[in-house]
Amino acid sequence: MNGTIPAPTIEYGMLAPMLVVFGAAIVGVLVEAFAPRYLRSAIHLPITLLSLLISFVLIVWQWVEGVPTKAAAMGAIAVDGPAMFIWGTILVLAFVSVLLIKDEGHFVGAAAAVPGSAEEEQALYEGAAHTEVYPLVLFAVGGMMLFPAANDLLIAFVGLEVMSLPLYLLCGLARRRRLLSQEAAMKYFLLGAFSSAFFLYGTAMIYGYANSLDLAEIGASLGVVGGQDMLLYIGGAMIGVGLLFKIGAAPFQAWKPDVYQGAPTPITALMASGTLIAAFGALLRVFWVALGGLDWNWRPVFYGVAILTMLGGAIFAITQTDIKRMLAYSSIAHGGFLLIGVIATGSAPAQNTSALSGILFYLVAYGFTTVGAFAVVTMVRDAGGEAWHLSRWAGLGKRSPLLAGVFAFFLLAFAGIPLTSGFFGKYAVFQAAVTGGALPLVIVGAVASAVAAFFYVRVIVLMFFSDPAADGPSVVLPSRGTAAVVGLAALATVVLGVFPQPVLDLAHSAAQSLFVR
Amino acid sequence: MTTHYLVLSALLFAIGGVGVLVRRNAIVVFMCVELMLNACNLAFVTFARQNGSLDGQVIAFFVMIVAAAEVVIGLAIIVTIFRTRRSASVDDASLLKH
Amino acid sequence: MEAAEIASITQHSGGAIGAAWLMIALPLVGAAVLLLGGRRTDKFGHLLGVLMAVASFVVAALAFVQLLGFAPGERRRGVSLFEFIPGLVDKVGLLVDPLSISFCLLITGVGSLIHVYSIGYMAHDPNRRRFFAYLNLFVAAMLLLVLADNYLALFVGWEGVGLASYLLIGFWQHKPSAATAAKKAFIVNRVGDVGLLIAMFTIFATFHSLTFSGVLDRAGDASQGTLTAIGLLLLVGACGKSAQLPLQSWLLDAMEGPTPVSALIHAATMVTAGVYLIVRSGPIFEGTGTAQLVVTIVGVATLLAGAIIGTAKDDIKKALAGSTMSQIGYMVLAAGVGPAGYAFAIAHLITHGFFKADMFLGAGSVMHAMNDEVDMRKYGGLRKVMPITFATFLVGYLAIIGFPLLSGYFTKDGIIETAMEHSAVLGWLAVLGAGITGFYMSRLVFMTFFGKKRWDAKAHPHESPAVMTVPLLLLSIGSIALGAYLILGNRFMIFLSPAVGAPEHLPEFHPFSAPGLATLALVAIGAAFAWLRYGAAEVPATAPRGSFLTTFARRDLYGDALNEALFMRPGQWLTRLAVFFDNRGVDGLVNGLAASIGGSSGRLRRVQTGFVRSYALSIFVGAAVLVGAWFVVGNL
Repeated sequence: MNGTIPAPTIEYGMLAPMLVVFGAAIVGVLVEAFAPRYLRSAIHLPITLLSLLISFVLIVWQWVEGVPTKAAAMGAIAVDGPAMFIWGTILVLAFVSVLLIKDEGHFVGAAAAVPGSAEEEQALYEGAAHTEVYPLVLFAVGGMMLFPAANDLLIAFVGLEVMSLPLYLLCGLARRRRLLSQEAAMKYFLLGAFSSAFFLYGTAMIYGYANSLDLAEIGASLGVVGGQDMLLYIGGAMIGVGLLFKIGAAPFQAWKPDVYQGAPTPITALMASGTLIAAFGALLRVFWVALGGLDWNWRPVFYGVAILTMLGGAIFAITQTDIKRMLAYSSIAHGGFLLIGVIATGSAPAQNTSALSGILFYLVAYGFTTVGAFAVVTMVRDAGGEAWHLSRWAGLGKRSPLLAGVFAFFLLAFAGIPLTSGFFGKYAVFQAAVTGGALPLVIVGAVASAVAAFFYVRVIVLMFFSDPAADGPSVVLPSRGTAAVVGLAALATVVLGVFPQPVLDLAHSAAQSLFVR
Repeated sequence: MTTHYLVLSALLFAIGGVGVLVRRNAIVVFMCVELMLNACNLAFVTFARQNGSLDGQVIAFFVMIVAAAEVVIGLAIIVTIFRTRRSASVDDASLLKH
Repeated sequence: MEAAEIASITQHSGGAIGAAWLMIALPLVGAAVLLLGGRRTDKFGHLLGVLMAVASFVVAALAFVQLLGFAPGERRRGVSLFEFIPGLVDKVGLLVDPLSISFCLLITGVGSLIHVYSIGYMAHDPNRRRFFAYLNLFVAAMLLLVLADNYLALFVGWEGVGLASYLLIGFWQHKPSAATAAKKAFIVNRVGDVGLLIAMFTIFATFHSLTFSGVLDRAGDASQGTLTAIGLLLLVGACGKSAQLPLQSWLLDAMEGPTPVSALIHAATMVTAGVYLIVRSGPIFEGTGTAQLVVTIVGVATLLAGAIIGTAKDDIKKALAGSTMSQIGYMVLAAGVGPAGYAFAIAHLITHGFFKADMFLGAGSVMHAMNDEVDMRKYGGLRKVMPITFATFLVGYLAIIGFPLLSGYFTKDGIIETAMEHSAVLGWLAVLGAGITGFYMSRLVFMTFFGKKRWDAKAHPHESPAVMTVPLLLLSIGSIALGAYLILGNRFMIFLSPAVGAPEHLPEFHPFSAPGLATLALVAIGAAFAWLRYGAAEVPATAPRGSFLTTFARRDLYGDALNEALFMRPGQWLTRLAVFFDNRGVDGLVNGLAASIGGSSGRLRRVQTGFVRSYALSIFVGAAVLVGAWFVVGNL
């Protein structure tokens, strides 16, 4: 049978949640092409929200039917417990972020127009809007789903790019502070492309070593192939670079504050929650399924990276004067805490399950809180748009106690105060790490948390115990969408902090099946 | 021997990497990234040859497609920033810092 | 006397017991709606508050009925709610057993009546809605306190009632005295709470659990010394909440709150939480004679102190507050005796809940009629203008002094008999206390309802509306009949035994025992003396100077002065010292550390240059380091 290629079998049912999102994105592109300008956003919004909803329902349905234990599409995409949990989380958070995105005024009317030019005036006058935002977001969300489910390094690379490319564009679409936004887009793009080149080179090395890109086959080839350790080491480390870049782990964290600050805040919210979750899913899968047999090598390296990330994130955050940069550094520090969970995975299945379920819970908890926090940032504005400088937030508690109270609550959740979701997230991860023998890391984590708590509390003190500036920012009356986002995030933060058990159970049963190997 | 091709690939990758670090023009920086991707392609094809499987060559096509998509996005971003600033120097765009 | 076994807990779901969480949830929802709803709920706020309390009562009653359907050995039903921090409290659940359900019925029953009464009493207050919200909050917290199946949830309820009490004492915060009283109650209660907290730490360190089943079933495993420590710490908590010596001083000031609050929280329910804690933790106290001895001593000392304070107060509510202290002293005394006393302690607690609430509400009715005058020297002869209030108050009065066949007679006599059996000294002191009770309560009644009018010209006393008198009537029915029902034939002791155990021999009721007769005689003498001084004779409109003994009692036995001298002044010194050290030492260290972290942060952030090429460099170098590290580690 030389020369004939067997037709691949593709389990469309298992992939349906992802296909729905990608399908809707393509429909969105067609809408851009054919629908009249004034109708576009009215068409996009329901399509976007509905597709996310349907996708979520499909996942729930599949979950109830029974989690598959075999990778789909000829072993290229693994739809297993953790992947489905991550999908569900990303979809919910994307849905929430779209509610934030749909608000007027976050995105530029004509991105190509030079800021301050007559062209821009004209676009403003005409009320032009980039409705491409919706399909771009859907593509990004599709990529976020593909990335952690990829059971093949090539698919992982494709997923990585599909997730990142739309985000590069979206970062440059902020309505205000155009220069910052464009700069953020360029930095994110150049550095992202740079890091994915590392990922790809690593992939090539691994391919040279194992003669396959299938994660399971790579895992099986470890220790079988002899004399090629150089390829393996370079490959593993470089894939690590690509993944750690997306997480924002030190020393690959430099892009995060700049990009988070310059991007439109709703997009920042999407990146801070969705990208982080997807990247952690992919990191866990690659390093557990493919390179699990090599943990003797990567665990010490990650040890150092985690310590550097936690301490770096916390210490850098202290002197930040910009709320979005501060939240970005906070996100870096949280990435470090999550890395503790990655290191806590071990050889015993029970240990793996507890570490994995801890990470999954942490991701859910952090995702909701961070979206809520950025949603609050969108509401505090002054003449030049959102008021980012912390000094402008002084005395906010006196002007609008409710909003400041909710924001303070989010900050406490970031700090991991009991009765907030952040506490149980940290608790679950740290506990898994202690039983996994990573006590020193937990101690560093606790120290970093203490340092981090300082700057969270500093903001709270600033909001409630300082006198408001005379020309301080005003809090805009939130649209229904934004109000829903803040409310939902606050609710999730409370519920996960008081009744964490249902979600912990869910994460546990997702982690029970572990990754398909 | 395929080793030569691998060394060449590594050299190209390194040249690309260093180029990203030393060049100022955003377009050139971006071309250096493309050079790195193509170094990867060379490695893939070499390994395909070495291991006697076709996978590597197929992967190279995938990478080309992704790179093409990246070019579209990248050029769009760089052109916009050039129009705004009348400069394509990556060092000029440094408002976001500290 | 050997205790009967405490029944083990049966897991339960379904029915009213399974829905026991509703008891807590309903008033909690009420409070949330009223507090969050703001002025929009002003119109129906009071009705919602009453509805929630009554609904809670209905659930309690149904649960009670369902509980009676089980065999006595299976009447401890555990209802698990949700899983919590593993290891500490694995599952948060409720425990519905004879002890907790008795409390539930008392709290929701008397609570509902007081809610109804408050509609009338607070009718003219602009913040009535807020008042009802706090009352509902209190009921929810109190129910959590008694229904919890572990010390942690109990503590949450314990703090919740403290909060509600604080809010309600200071309800009229525009009065500085009320605000101060609220703060005082809060601070004194904190002292007790710290005791309870440390007790919980010790319990967890000893038993590795905070659930009642995990702790109390294994109480025998701990050493005598540990049990004594836990017992004494629990007692500190109980003293704070129940206004027992030496943490009694807040209760008299707490009377600044609206009278329904005094009736519900500071007479019928919250202040009895300490008794509940001691009885619930029975196995701990039974394992340590020392702690039990201290409990009984505290009980007797407080019952005498409260009674003495009651004799000298002209403020009707403060006189009643002294009496509350004293009666809770009786309960604590009985609880300290062990299984023989538990049933009497709780029975007295329940009957006291009725007759004291009855009298407080009666006093409230009088104040309502007299323009909020509280000085009894300005009352007199009110029995004619307020017949219903007078009649119901009279019932409460007769019940508390232990008039034969009324509630207090049976329950207090039970306590005295049990104490006598335990130790003659304690017994006779309790008898003496009963005699003083006869005096000060008679004094109160005579000064208020008998004699000549001594009102201001402006006062136009009148009977209160039905919404206030009907609860009074219902409470007085309880004050008459409940004691006989509970005590005769040891009905309550048998009912309670699965939860707290029972003595080997059930006590018999002797109507004509020596202590019983002595009590009656002393009470009669006290009442007669009061009649001579305050009934037959003229009551001066201003208080005479009196002897040093009177002053002693008027000044609350110098409790406040003692606190000031012993705690406040040294406390102030200590604070100054601490501030000094804090500024010089601790702050220096902390600030230094913060400054060094902040400084390094300030320097480090310069690394973030804003140049994309420098970021790329960090990635490049980072990648090189990472690859290098892999090789280093791989070749180790």
